[in-house]
Amino acid sequence: MSEQVVASKLTAQAAAQGNALIKLLVFSLALAIVPISSYFLSRDYVWGGNTTWAAFTAAGSAQLILVAFIVVSVLEDQRERSEVEATKAKKSH
Amino acid sequence: MSACPPYAPFFGLGGVAASMVLSTVGAAFGTSKAGIGIAGLGQFKPELIMKSLIPVVMSGIIAVYGLVVSVLIAGALRPTDYSLYAGFVHLGAGLACGFTGLAAGYAIGYVGDSCVRAYVYESKVFVTMVLILIFGEVLGLYGLIVALIMNSRATEAPSCM
Repeated sequence: MSEQVVASKLTAQAAAQGNALIKLLVFSLALAIVPISSYFLSRDYVWGGNTTWAAFTAAGSAQLILVAFIVVSVLEDQRERSEVEATKAKKSH
Repeated sequence: MSACPPYAPFFGLGGVAASMVLSTVGAAFGTSKAGIGIAGLGQFKPELIMKSLIPVVMSGIIAVYGLVVSVLIAGALRPTDYSLYAGFVHLGAGLACGFTGLAAGYAIGYVGDSCVRAYVYESKVFVTMVLILIFGEVLGLYGLIVALIMNSRATEAPSCM
């Protein structure tokens, strides 16, 4: 019986790690690609060649990625905490 | 003494290099110092790792500031018809962004390391950590703004004969 508990814990850990790894990969790629591409695209198509506004756009997009990362990490923490409390409530019954 | 000597691009290229190199040094210091704290935190509370990666992301953004200023200055460089004034402006812009990125990365590294270690014991440290990291991040942002303002003055350069 305890072997099944250990196996379920391991698969849950592996699933959580895989999920976290994918999130980290997505954010790393976003931080590498989005600011510099937003600089060039906004310079050519939005600001009509004005490089200063394009640089502000690139810096702003990097800040937006940071805000998205903070939101995602806080939400994941809240979800994990509610799951732990739900399993605790089930066990106590 | 002409306004557009042939060695003028030296200063402009120095600004490009300074912006990228110095802000990357700051970002590397911030990443590594915060990473030491996260490795310590991960041994005791692995579920807190995702939230404690915020200093690392902020250090990455410091490097993005340096990259943006480098690309911006490099786009304005020319082999001829490039005045010494424009070279000095670009050098100043690159140095401004680079050194402020160095300072910001230094701050983010120490704050990230200490605060993620404290986060193991007290969860209310998280909001404080994000606030202090934001104040450290805006140091690099001020350097970026000053570099952009300086770079916009480079187009006032005198025309070459």
